[in-house]
Amino acid sequence: MKPKIFSLALAAAAGIGLAAPAAAETKVGLLLPYSGTYAALGNEITDGFNLALELAGRSGEFDIVREDTEVKPPVGLAKARKLVLEDEVDVIVGIVSSGVLGAVRDFIDGAQVPLIVANAGNDNATGDACSAYITRVSFSNGQVNRPMGTWLAGQGVKKVYTLAPDYAAGRQMIEAFTETYTAAGGEIVGGEYTPFGQTSDFGPYLANAKASGADAIYTFYAGGEAISFVKQYGSFGKELPLYGSGFLTSPLYVAAEGDAAVGVITSLHYVPTLDTPENKAFVEAFGAAYDRVPSEYAVHGYDAGMSLMAAIDSGASDRETIAAALPKVKYVGPRGPLEIDPATNNIVQNIYIYETVKDGDGLTQKVVGTVEAVRDAPKGCNLR
Amino acid sequence: MFRQTPARSLVLIVTLAGLAAYASAGGFFAREIVIEIAILAILAISLDVVAGFGGMVSLAHGAMMGLSAYTYAIFSVKLGWPPLPSALLGVAASGIFGTLIGWITGRTTGIFFIMATLAFGQMAYTVFFKWRWLGGDDGLGGLSRFDLGGLGIKMGNSLTFALFALVLVLAVYVAAAWVLRTAFGRTLTGIHVNEDRMRALGVNTVMHRAQALGFSALLAGVAGVLAAQHVQYISPELLVWTVSGEVLIVVILGGLGTLIGPLLGAVIFVLLKHEISGYTNHWHIVIGLLLIATVLAGGRGIYGQVEHWFSRRPPPPAGTAEAHDA
Amino acid sequence: MDASFWILQFLNAVQFSMLLFLLSIGLTVIFGLLHFINLAHGALYMLGAYIGISAAAATGSFWAALILAPLAVMLIGAVLYFTLIDRLRGAGPMNQVLVTFGLIFVFLDLVRMGWGDVALGLSAPPSLAGTSEILGVKYPAYRLFIIALGLVIMAGLWITLARTQIGAMIRASVENGAMAATLGINVGRLFFIVFCLGCVLAGLAGVVAAPVTSATTGMGISILIPTLIVVVIGGLGSLQGAIAGSLIVGFIETFGAVLLPGFAAVLAYILLAAILVLRPQGLLPARGH
Repeated sequence: MKPKIFSLALAAAAGIGLAAPAAAETKVGLLLPYSGTYAALGNEITDGFNLALELAGRSGEFDIVREDTEVKPPVGLAKARKLVLEDEVDVIVGIVSSGVLGAVRDFIDGAQVPLIVANAGNDNATGDACSAYITRVSFSNGQVNRPMGTWLAGQGVKKVYTLAPDYAAGRQMIEAFTETYTAAGGEIVGGEYTPFGQTSDFGPYLANAKASGADAIYTFYAGGEAISFVKQYGSFGKELPLYGSGFLTSPLYVAAEGDAAVGVITSLHYVPTLDTPENKAFVEAFGAAYDRVPSEYAVHGYDAGMSLMAAIDSGASDRETIAAALPKVKYVGPRGPLEIDPATNNIVQNIYIYETVKDGDGLTQKVVGTVEAVRDAPKGCNLR
Repeated sequence: MFRQTPARSLVLIVTLAGLAAYASAGGFFAREIVIEIAILAILAISLDVVAGFGGMVSLAHGAMMGLSAYTYAIFSVKLGWPPLPSALLGVAASGIFGTLIGWITGRTTGIFFIMATLAFGQMAYTVFFKWRWLGGDDGLGGLSRFDLGGLGIKMGNSLTFALFALVLVLAVYVAAAWVLRTAFGRTLTGIHVNEDRMRALGVNTVMHRAQALGFSALLAGVAGVLAAQHVQYISPELLVWTVSGEVLIVVILGGLGTLIGPLLGAVIFVLLKHEISGYTNHWHIVIGLLLIATVLAGGRGIYGQVEHWFSRRPPPPAGTAEAHDA
Repeated sequence: MDASFWILQFLNAVQFSMLLFLLSIGLTVIFGLLHFINLAHGALYMLGAYIGISAAAATGSFWAALILAPLAVMLIGAVLYFTLIDRLRGAGPMNQVLVTFGLIFVFLDLVRMGWGDVALGLSAPPSLAGTSEILGVKYPAYRLFIIALGLVIMAGLWITLARTQIGAMIRASVENGAMAATLGINVGRLFFIVFCLGCVLAGLAGVVAAPVTSATTGMGISILIPTLIVVVIGGLGSLQGAIAGSLIVGFIETFGAVLLPGFAAVLAYILLAAILVLRPQGLLPARGH
């Protein structure tokens, strides 16, 4: 079988839509949080997924069942069992938190149902806990942060203080950055992991960072914590330059951060201002459909839809063939060229280093560097 | 004072039989729901023992359940022990934890007791959240179920496991009812009603309450082992205080201090949540309104309210409950 | 670590204490007089933040939002008072806890319906956006504003309670409600006024905290624990208790983050447990309770 290479986004944006094969309906289970802390992400991913199908004119080919994980691992597993055993879906799309992914991993693997991960970034999911049935089209925590270490050292920033929430994703992101940054000659002069979800005052940590003698701060925060952190960083007069993982200044939250975010440089796998025809068409279509700028989460959903359609176009029709076809997916999407690494089933994609800049009254993203085709080392995983 | 009335026995048997029938006749998801109900019901019965009969509203029951689940995982997964001794150790660990909390907080009552149990529960949650050896916040997988293959019982089968869970509910209910009817249980209610008088009668009320919380924690530990074996994966979310808050809601909805009410509360809570989430992502508002309505209606809960209606009539001879108000 | 570092951390601790004071004082005021545990306080705080964000967007002024949001929350509180709270006054603490806990769930979903699931932010007013020089260090002007506001509210409440007629009526009702009623004090109306005051304070805390943190749909629940820890440590229902509790928790958390970062997540709980074991009624409980 030859990998099928095409550019669906272009065709879709031109309103052509690929000729729908007369195949039977594909049953898709969307397993996402629709209540609880991450409900906003669940909605973004769902919107992106639906948009991919609509733009291709193929919504009718898919029968979609939505289930709410409530961001609770046992609930996520119960819903996964329902989707697989009762609804008999052909493929599951979704999963925002790594905790839920950990809970469903063994079941998915044992039940041999393809799962397209549309967010959860835990490195292990495509590392030592990888599965032939789990394909990730979002990102891995290490993938997003490793390029930044090398890049930052190359900018002449020699000493860095790190800050992140005290949970697995926070630690993986900081560790990945530290690895490449110190390898490139940088020095970590201090750092702290802050209590996850219960830190409302970052003032003490910002003072620690300043006292450490660092040239800059490197950080990862997301959601409400990202807003609080960036605003408090701004209120202290931005004494040190701030770098980080790009979720910090995601388009979903950057408006709430306001001017405090200006000048912050971060790395991420998608930026809505990418100057490519695929991305422009996507941003326009997303704006027309939902009246807002798409975030990286919306792109996860969109690419989950695109890769699923690509797998079906390559002849896949049931659980086994879809799982086999997904790792062969390769196309140019809104975030640039992407493919699935058959050794780990993780996505291989560009990482963009971008600065948040002022644009009239609002904020926008200026890409200052691109690291192409970032691929994770297959740590303990060999699917090939 | 707890009484196992014939009506309560009848409701218990009918409910459990109904759940068993639902699990047998329904699909895989029905069995998931039955197991979910069973875990919640055990935890709610456990909370009712102390909250309903001892006035000790605990926000540490989630932590007790989680501690038991983690202890089970430590012995069975990390140390390679067989499931049964690991499970017994899990239940025992929860019991010891509960007794300790009860002993340390022995002098606090009311909102202060609630806050103290919250503090200890959250400390336990934080320990497991940060404990890398046990997976930290990523949780721990690879847990196994009891191996009853020698008896010809396959626990991997979801129907078998659902029925097993219902048997545990029955066992926990019987244990709770039995303990509450002993002198120990009556003394607990006595302390709740008038602590000074019980102390004057020579009861060491602090130790007594500690033992009651310890017993309740043993039952919560059973829920923990069941939850661990059901999902075969554990994470610190089991221990967080909102789990305890949810269980408290279940107890109130069903009927505080009735023991059978919490079982009904668990059935209604789980079914309602799944039913609502089929239509909307806003199930919180429904649960919130239901809780408010329950309290405004007198706070007796569903079973308590039904019992109240019947008991307003002159004492009906047992077995003639079908005569009811017009 | 020079002197300016410790001055900075000291200011952080004072600022965080004042924020905690603003968050918890509404809860304390209502409990002190009504003996009513109003868990919906967290929900009212959340409404204060969200309404404040909308009001600031509509009027273009943070200061307008600072006035409008607490008033709007007071109106919501007044409606709650006549529909629910008044009926629950004699219903016992357990029922009050449960009903107001239910209200948190109701408001959680109402806010999700009205404002969506995405976390929102509010900008500090331009006049307070920068930093100021104080005690030889540069410190965010908005944080100094929080410290000042906390002190003003503290002083205002203390003067009201100690020096005014209504304060005397409130103190009399706390000591002995039945006696106060026979002396001609309209205890029912007094309760209503105090409940509204508690709601205003909750709404105010929501707007004031919004430029420092962010508005999320989970904030009503997540704020409950820190505020309850503050009031329980201090002793339920007394102004001095709320002040003491805020300062203790604020300083322990701030310096814990600096000196014992590994334990930052559990420090408040260890403190809470220790105080409850040693003094089961908190440090400075209200009299007559």
